[in-house]
Amino acid sequence: MIQLFDLSKKFGPNVALNDIRLRIRKGEFVFVTGPSGAGKTTLLRLIFGAEKPASGYILINAINLNRISRPKLDLLRRKIGFVFQDFKLLPRKTVFENVAIALEVIGLRPKFVRKKTHQTLRLVGLAEKEKSYPLSLSGGEQQRVAIARAIVKDPLILLADEPTGNLDPQLTMEIMELFRSIHRKGTTVVVATHSQELLQATDCRIIVLNQGTISEDTP
Amino acid sequence: MRSYFIRQALMNIRKNLSVHILSLGTIVASLLILGAFLLLFGNLNNWLQRWGTALSMSIYLKDGISEYRRDNVYSFIRGLPGAEIKRFISKEEALKDLRAALGDDAAFLNRLGRNPLPASYEVVFESKGTHRVDPEKIKEELEKLDGVEEVQYSNEWLNKFEGFLNVVRLIGFIIGGLLCLCVVFIVTNTIKLTIYSRKDEIEILKLVGATDWFVKTPFLLEGMIQGISGGILAVLTLFLGYLLLPTKGISLLGLTPLDLVFLPAGYLILIFILGAVLGVIGSFIAIGRFFAV
Ligand SMILES: Nc1ncnc2c1ncn2[C@@H]1O[C@H](COP(=O)(O)OP(=O)(O)O)[C@@H](O)[C@H]1O
Ligand SMILES: [Mg+2]
Repeated sequence: MIQLFDLSKKFGPNVALNDIRLRIRKGEFVFVTGPSGAGKTTLLRLIFGAEKPASGYILINAINLNRISRPKLDLLRRKIGFVFQDFKLLPRKTVFENVAIALEVIGLRPKFVRKKTHQTLRLVGLAEKEKSYPLSLSGGEQQRVAIARAIVKDPLILLADEPTGNLDPQLTMEIMELFRSIHRKGTTVVVATHSQELLQATDCRIIVLNQGTISEDTP
Repeated sequence: MRSYFIRQALMNIRKNLSVHILSLGTIVASLLILGAFLLLFGNLNNWLQRWGTALSMSIYLKDGISEYRRDNVYSFIRGLPGAEIKRFISKEEALKDLRAALGDDAAFLNRLGRNPLPASYEVVFESKGTHRVDPEKIKEELEKLDGVEEVQYSNEWLNKFEGFLNVVRLIGFIIGGLLCLCVVFIVTNTIKLTIYSRKDEIEILKLVGATDWFVKTPFLLEGMIQGISGGILAVLTLFLGYLLLPTKGISLLGLTPLDLVFLPAGYLILIFILGAVLGVIGSFIAIGRFFAV
């Protein structure tokens, strides 16, 4: 499903990722962890096609991201949910619209979009905040909007960058349970986190990054 | 058309209302000047057509013309399309007319040994349908006939007027072209501003898998809405101005009063469509520039 071959990424002289070789199978649930600056975000962004590697290549469902055309990448992104560390919500749109947009870009029927959006917002516990604007929400609520937008389209792959960074322990457990239920429906899930609590409570595969290289990988 | 695009376009306008009102005002002004030109040109054309139909011609005959030659001239004139012989003025009648016109000053005419005035036909030409009377050509043909001394027509200035109309037309085209460019330029810049203020949003849309067209369409619509509303406002303003005009008729040079008519429906639709097309072109340019970066 996701294959990385000798992948390197530099920002100027700064090496963010160095010779990463990694394979994530379809339907896996994987944590990526490591200290701040280890390259977790960069790794997820590369898989999403939001960054270009300095060398090496990435295959998603056997599609080479180095060679993919812009329209094909747009299509691929419709199948990948991404929870951004900084949420990337549209400030001028309501919570509802922010989530619905992920379905609207696909061109689904308005009726279906409404139904599915309501349903997903209930799932993340934001049914009451539908008409609010992101900036009037707490950090934890914004995070859950970002999660709702990533999962509303039932993605094949869910990439989540510190998805519980702003949540209290109770909400963290709820969101992780949500991820597990999505995973059970067949979605491949990759969660980047530096939270030790999350890692201790799981028996999933954990990939540890250190200064841009994989230092540990426990299947 | 998906409702998302329309909602998005309207929201873009609402969020940048002051910029839009400003550019809308400029668009209306440009289309208004264009419309005023069309109005002026349409009316000038109308008047010309009217005067063209009222062309009257005097055909002066040589002294001592034979009956046969005169009949020849007569039947030639009858054969001209649209020609109607109003009157034959004999030498005597011409003198009588002159005498009447001179009144008290006519005494000197008695001292003339013989009547110096030529006999003439008074002819009026009617334009039929698209057929336009060409007085210069008729004059040339008539003057070639035996027995015709000279041909005069009342409005030799018609040609000058037609020339003037051509100049107006040319100026209209140049100014119209510049104004169209102006509208495109304004729309381009307004949409560029909108796109710029939506930069982050566009990036996010691309991240959730929006195609380029999904992102672009609202901006195209925005430009089109701007052009169309500019067109509608310009047409309404023109009409209002026309209604408020103190007199709808102009009496010029003692000729029949001229009606000032409003633009025909076709021209109104033209201004409207022009607004829409220019709006789309403007936003196309804005989008192209933006997405090329
Ligand atoms: N856009 C960027 N420009 C320059 N350097 C960057 C950029 N993104 C990440 N980096 C650098 O790459 C390294 C890895 O960053 P990141 O992937 O964000 O780490 P993590 O998510 O594990 O904290 C860091 O040294 C960071 O400073
Ligand atoms: Mg990070």
